[in-house]
Amino acid sequence: MMIPEDYRNRIGRVFLGGIASLVLVFLAVPLIVVVALSFTTTSYLAFPPVGMTTRWYAAVLGDPTFIDAFVVSSELAALATGVALLLGIPAALVLARKSFPGRRLISAAFLSPLVLPTIVLGAAILQYASTLGFARTFAALLVGHVVLVTPYVIRTVLASLSGMENVLEEAAQDLGATPSETFFLITLPLIKPGVIAGALFAFINSWINVEVSIFNSTSRLMTIPVKLFNYVQFNIDPRLAAVSALTIYFAVALVVVIDLMVGLERAAINTTADGRAS
Amino acid sequence: MRLTTRTTFLLLVGPIGFFLLFFVIPFAQLVKESLFGPQGWTLDNYTSVLTDAYYWKALVDTLVISLLVTLVSFLAGYPLAYFMIFHLRSAALRRLIYVVLVTPLFTSNIVRAFGWIVILGRRGMVNAGLLALGAVEAPVDLLYNKASIIIGLAYILLPLMVLTVCSILQSIDRSLIDAARDLGASPSVAFFSVTLPLSLPGVVAGSIIIFALSASAYVIPSILSGGREIVMSMLIFQQYMATFRPDVGATLSVVLLVVTLALIAAYAYGVERRTRVAM
Repeated sequence: MMIPEDYRNRIGRVFLGGIASLVLVFLAVPLIVVVALSFTTTSYLAFPPVGMTTRWYAAVLGDPTFIDAFVVSSELAALATGVALLLGIPAALVLARKSFPGRRLISAAFLSPLVLPTIVLGAAILQYASTLGFARTFAALLVGHVVLVTPYVIRTVLASLSGMENVLEEAAQDLGATPSETFFLITLPLIKPGVIAGALFAFINSWINVEVSIFNSTSRLMTIPVKLFNYVQFNIDPRLAAVSALTIYFAVALVVVIDLMVGLERAAINTTADGRAS
Repeated sequence: MRLTTRTTFLLLVGPIGFFLLFFVIPFAQLVKESLFGPQGWTLDNYTSVLTDAYYWKALVDTLVISLLVTLVSFLAGYPLAYFMIFHLRSAALRRLIYVVLVTPLFTSNIVRAFGWIVILGRRGMVNAGLLALGAVEAPVDLLYNKASIIIGLAYILLPLMVLTVCSILQSIDRSLIDAARDLGASPSVAFFSVTLPLSLPGVVAGSIIIFALSASAYVIPSILSGGREIVMSMLIFQQYMATFRPDVGATLSVVLLVVTLALIAAYAYGVERRTRVAM
């Protein structure tokens, strides 16, 4: 039996749309479920949630250990992002604008924390910090996180720089601007979206990290994901759902901010996909 | 911008110095730790790790899990990316899809693993559904096995495959696909002989990232295995934090690193050769 071609195309399209929707549901459901359960009135987790209460949120926000962990995470992520910008923007500028022997090697080395096992990075930093006497301190957490997130800055800034016309910079320099004037007056304003996207991706990847942090945590110095990781081994209860839900709200807020400021699509592809710039 | 040698040096000295101090040297120290015994340089750590069936099983399990995760991510991620680039006309819907793709990437692995515990657990969503339908009489164990680890990892890594493939599908010259169709190729022939081969670099890049990240993932396997399955990263963590054998931990880290990189290199080489033959 011959099925007319455009009819077949339509079946194909519906089928493809079906798969795509299923995959999207697969991606969305775990987070939605966590949010739904954070409002349950039962003291254990069961599906479907029963009733509607915000008392688990109150319990979490009234628990100083959770608040401390939120503070440590935020300070760590903010500082790591700041340092990553200071290291990553100059590095990306050189990698994009200057060709020299060893350029590819240096670029690969800067980007390698993206694919190297983060657990090995955590272990290596712990061992190194022990030899130098700063293991399990905020400084040890910070250096590990800087190494972890700098590649995100380098990658997005590289993508912005290679998408931008070099002629504007050269014109400024021909007219007598110094390299730093050229950078701050011409380059930086043009690559601003890339810098913002890189900074936000750096911030969030520090904020959600467990593997690097866990090696240098103590009971008094703990980030929120490490706190959750320790918690989940012993208790699976609505309090856990409430903290998790809070981090999900934060993630959604950040996604919206990125979308409004620089456009989510480009930012996501430049940072996570192989930006084809290197 | 034209950069003089002096400016180049000034710009690079900070980042290179930092990475040397806190990335290269710590890794070098880790490698040294694995090659060092009480009597100086030795391969003892490697011989004891590589002759131990327990470590071999963990290594093989890790690689098998990573391979399956990569495969699942490709099979689920490619159609979604294809749909987004070639069929989705509504810009608002596409934006929403990007939100759904990126939000999990911005959420901690813990939270994402916790989501799966809630879905697959004994009092979870799937069991509640099965019980309500009368398909089972008692809750089934869906958690704490290889399948739940693979589901959890594919879930956290899938967005990376979708974004990598999207990025390459976007850059494909559509007139090539139109030309194939004009010359009489059916949509599926045009897809398999034009679109898919052209998008292969994106698939390769995506699968390399996903394989590497699955092989080294720690949080998802350790939560979703419930301790019943062991992967390399869990062993590495135990050696450092529970049994206090940093030498064994370092050796396992190096083994994991070398095996993963070797497999990735072999894969990239194989793909490159095959594409060259095809052309």
